[in-house]
Parts: sequence; C-alpha cells; structure tokens
Amino acid sequence: MIEYEWKFREVLEYWPAFLNGMALTAQLSLILLIAAILGGVIVGSARYSKNRFFNWPATFFIEAFRNTPVFVQIIWFFFAFPILIGVQMEGFYAALLGIGLNMIAYSAEIFRAGIQSIERGQWEAGRAIGMNYFQSMRRVVLPQAIRRMIPAFANRVIELVKSTSIASTIAVGELLYQGHQLANTIYRPMETYTIVAVLFFLMIYPLALLTYFLEKKLNVDMRSN
Amino acid sequence: MGYDWDFSYVFKNQGILWEGFVGTIQIATASLFLGLVVGLFLASLRMSKYRLLSIPATCLIEFLRMTPLMVQIFWVFFALPILIDVRLDPFAAGLIAFSMQSGSFFAEVFRGGIQSIDRSQWEGAKSLGMTNLKMMRRIILPQAVRRMIPPLMERSFELIKGTTQMAAISYSDLLYNAMVLSSQLYRPVEIMTFTALFYLCFLTLISFGMRTIETRIEKARE
Repeated sequence: MIEYEWKFREVLEYWPAFLNGMALTAQLSLILLIAAILGGVIVGSARYSKNRFFNWPATFFIEAFRNTPVFVQIIWFFFAFPILIGVQMEGFYAALLGIGLNMIAYSAEIFRAGIQSIERGQWEAGRAIGMNYFQSMRRVVLPQAIRRMIPAFANRVIELVKSTSIASTIAVGELLYQGHQLANTIYRPMETYTIVAVLFFLMIYPLALLTYFLEKKLNVDMRSN
Repeated sequence: MGYDWDFSYVFKNQGILWEGFVGTIQIATASLFLGLVVGLFLASLRMSKYRLLSIPATCLIEFLRMTPLMVQIFWVFFALPILIDVRLDPFAAGLIAFSMQSGSFFAEVFRGGIQSIDRSQWEGAKSLGMTNLKMMRRIILPQAVRRMIPPLMERSFELIKGTTQMAAISYSDLLYNAMVLSSQLYRPVEIMTFTALFYLCFLTLISFGMRTIETRIEKARE
C-alpha cells in the first residue's frame, strides 16, 4: 500500500466553493421545508377528508410519489417535463419540483396519521361543549396531533436535507456539486469528498440532536399528562 | 404545445431497459444481504461492554446515517480507491456504500429491537440459569425479531429506491440505461415516463408484499 499524503490544507484554500455549496444546500432545504409543511397540510387534509373528490386524488398522489425513487422524479422533471410543457427549466427548479412533491407526499401521510391518532372522544368532547368542526380541530385536535407529528416530521426533514445532494447530478451547484467540480479541477478527490461528507454531517447532525431531544421531551410530556 | 406521445420507442428498445432492471435487482439484493451482515456486526459492536468497541461503532453509525447516500457513493467511488490503492468498478463501489449505509440503519433497528425487550425477560431467563447466549437465542431474539421486521422492511424499501443513485456513477441500473437510451433517441418524455411508471409498479408490488407480511405477523401475535 502506498503511503498517501494528505493535503487538507491545500484543498481548504478553496473554501469559498464549499461555502457557496453549503449556502445553496441550505437554500434548497429551506424552500423544501416550507413546501413540505404547506403542501403536507393541504394534501394531508384532502387525504383525511371523507369526500371522495378530495380523498382519492390525494391518496393517489401520496402513493405514487412515495412509491417512486426521488431521483427518478428529479430526472423526469429535468428531462421530460420541460418538453411536455414546452418551457426551458433550470436544474434548480426541476430539483425543487421532484424533491418537493416527494416530501409533500411523505409529510401529508404524517399529518393525516397524526390527526387520525387522536381518539374519537376528543372530537366528541369538543362537540359537547358546543364547538363546530373547525373549532374542535383547531382548539382540541390539532394541538395534540401536532405533538405526535413532530418526531416523524423532524426525521423527514433530515431525509430532505440529504436528498438535496441528488440535485448535484443535474448541475445544481449545491455542496456535493461544488465538491465534484473542485475534485475534478485540482485532482484531490480524497480530501475534497471527505470535506464534503463532513460538512454535510455538520449541517445534518444538529437536526438529529433536535429530533432526539424532541422525541424525549414529547414522550415525557405525554406520560405526565 | 400538444406533444405527440410515441411509446413505440420504448417497446422497440425494451431489451436495454430489462438489462438495467436486472442490474437494479442485482445491486439491491447483494447490498441487502451484505447490509444485514454489516448491521449485525455494527449492532453487536455498539452494544458491546467495551467502550473501545462501542464508541467507534456509534460514531460510524451516526456519521453514515447523517450524511447523504449520494455523497457516500461518490466518496467510495472517487476517494476510497486512492486511499486503498485499488480500482473499484461502479458495482463494487455501490455495494460498499449501500451495505455500509443500510448496515448502519439496520444496526439501529437490531439494537432498538433487543433493547425494547423488557428487563424482566432477561432476569427471568437468568434466574432459570441460562447462559447469555441461550438467553439471547431462546428468550430475547424470538420476541425482538418480530418487532424488528417492520422497520427492517421499511429500510429495505428505502434501499431499493436508493439504488437509482448508482446511475450517478454510471452503473447500468434501470435508471442509468433509461437515461442513456433517452439521450440516444431524443425521446426523454416517453422513456422517462415509462421508467417512472415501471418503478411505481415494481415498488408498489414490493410495498404490497411487505404490508401482507406485516399483517400476517400482527395476526400471528394475537
């Protein structure tokens, strides 16, 4: 085995590239997070609804997007979708559409499962003291359901940040793409990809710690109730 | 605006797509099995009494769970060969990346399953004079395995979906072959739509099978 000479310092001189990549990864993640929350609530409510007109399309949407790989969705939106609608599309938007719809499908299921997990008695109690459907939803059911959704949703957010790296394959200049470009220019793949991995870890691990914390705290709260 | 769909392009060239599908199945099954082995190994290291074993195992598991799969694939394919001075083909690189990452997730499932078994079960077995190994085999594992199966299946499902990311290092799985074909024929709409629908059918079938197994286990428990 050849002794390998590590040259991290040389590679780190290109820090602006890494920083730009991280900024775009963060930007993608943030937009996707907002989309996942808003879209998840809308599609999840439709899925929860007893009206078939809402329920069926929502169920179909959720199943279709959860049962296809997110990479295939991104590629479809990048290569096929623009031809269909006759519009040029940047990789950034194709990635947003592909990952975003996938995330919406997952968060919709989390939202629906959270609401469905609330016992019937809570609805009835709301009704008994004269609240209508929306009032009981907002004042009684949602506050309890949201607590139960948080750990699952936090896990989903971790998956979301991880999946933004797939956008590198369609030339979106996020962290992995920047690393890839750099490795090809300076021929230092070992150091570059290691730095990329560590930087991703540093971005994601705080989210994991937050998830562990929330899981513990919400569990304790539920037991003390 | 109206687009003329012509799926004959797909059917005339279905051979290359089937080849890709075989590639998908190969990498998925190989890394599933290797991943389970890695998972058992990492879980036993993490649960070890010796910190010298448990701390590095914990760090590795957390690191692999908290970094993107794509980054790991790239790292194994482009960086690892320099370190160990061996050329890796895409299949080998993918196999290493997948089995390490899903191994970490599996390890957590194994650990969670074993630790979820009530203390009294351990104590009961010990009071009957069983050795550690016997206890594990006769009392703990039979109960723990049932609890492990649903999360193991969920993770395996994620693994199968993840195999598409191998296309990024030119491993000829279904997605990669579809991308090659659509750039040769300039027919991305039909080929990509067909590929997406094919994955949908394939994965729906698998998730249906998994759900059936899950309900069987539920029933067997009652």
